[in-house]
Amino acid sequence: MQQTVENYWMFGAVCLVIALVLLRLLFRERITLQGSMSFLSFLVFLGLMAVFPETTGRIAKKLGFTLMSNFFFCAAIAALAILHLRALVTLSRVHVRSIVLTQELAILHEKIDRLETSEARRSSNTPASSSLA
Amino acid sequence: MRLLVIIPAFNEQVALKSLLEELRAVPALDGVELETVVVDDGSADLTAEVAKAGQARVLRLCRNVGIGGAVQSGIRLAHREGFDAAVQLDGDGQHPPSEIAKLVEHAKGSIAPDIVVGTRYRGQGKDNFRSTLLRRIGSWWLRTVLRLITRVRVSDPTSGYRLYGKRALRLFGDTYPYDFPEPESLAIARARGLTIAEVPVQMRERQGGTTSITGFSPIYYMFKVTIAVVLTYVRALLGKKRKDSDAANS
Repeated sequence: MQQTVENYWMFGAVCLVIALVLLRLLFRERITLQGSMSFLSFLVFLGLMAVFPETTGRIAKKLGFTLMSNFFFCAAIAALAILHLRALVTLSRVHVRSIVLTQELAILHEKIDRLETSEARRSSNTPASSSLA
Repeated sequence: MRLLVIIPAFNEQVALKSLLEELRAVPALDGVELETVVVDDGSADLTAEVAKAGQARVLRLCRNVGIGGAVQSGIRLAHREGFDAAVQLDGDGQHPPSEIAKLVEHAKGSIAPDIVVGTRYRGQGKDNFRSTLLRRIGSWWLRTVLRLITRVRVSDPTSGYRLYGKRALRLFGDTYPYDFPEPESLAIARARGLTIAEVPVQMRERQGGTTSITGFSPIYYMFKVTIAVVLTYVRALLGKKRKDSDAANS
């Protein structure tokens, strides 16, 4: 098991690289901290699994995995599925809000147009009525 | 009765002009004050300009949000401005404006349903307009799903020629499906206790533009709407149970 375990440093390194890319995106304000917290948490979790393989191995064995690599992949796939679902929820919410905003914008725009038209009509009528007076 | 005619339109400059002319030529309905709003769903052509020239109010959506989003914009406007009812009329000219009177008459009757659906499959309507086989199969399937799951009995669940009363305007201003909304909206309405009636109307071929339901989309349409109807029903049941338990607790 120990021999297999040492190979998982590579997995930790990959997690670290992804975390660095994520941090870079955060610094450049391409993504928000709030939105990426779950992603960072999962990276830390998976990274810790690779850094402490003996503990991970014990957990894997208790969960019934004979090969630790299977446990790694299972954990990573589960993490990605959860992250994807979270992203889907956020995306759906943003989609609905964007439609509502588009509708509200159109309604407001129409209202402004009508006000401007009635204002223009009123101002064009005023000189005529004052000259009549 | 203040009535708003909602015309959702996406690249319909050709059909819209004659449709608005027809609408203006419709004889005044007794006791009905009629206004028209064209919802330009992010068209790339002169739809908005044609609508303005046709003396209609124009809601110009800055991006394409789909038929459901476009119709809901008009419904929100009608609800906010205190209209008594709204009639949805397709911008492609499939729905002759002269038939509005039938919907209004039905809505003003003694029962006064919350939604009046204009059907092409009953009465004189079925002789006039025959849709494609695939469309009729789809319509039959949705009719069956709606009847079995939500107990809504309508012969033309995909018809967009509808009248919404005050309660429907309030409901759909808040929640309205965005794509393929017609059958699902009926399920939502029934789940919330709204009454639905049907009246035979004449329909005709589209007068311009192209249909959005092409290729494999009818299959997706049926699949999506079936799931949506089931979800709506289950959601309504759960909501009702929650309400009942809240009432019991209080």
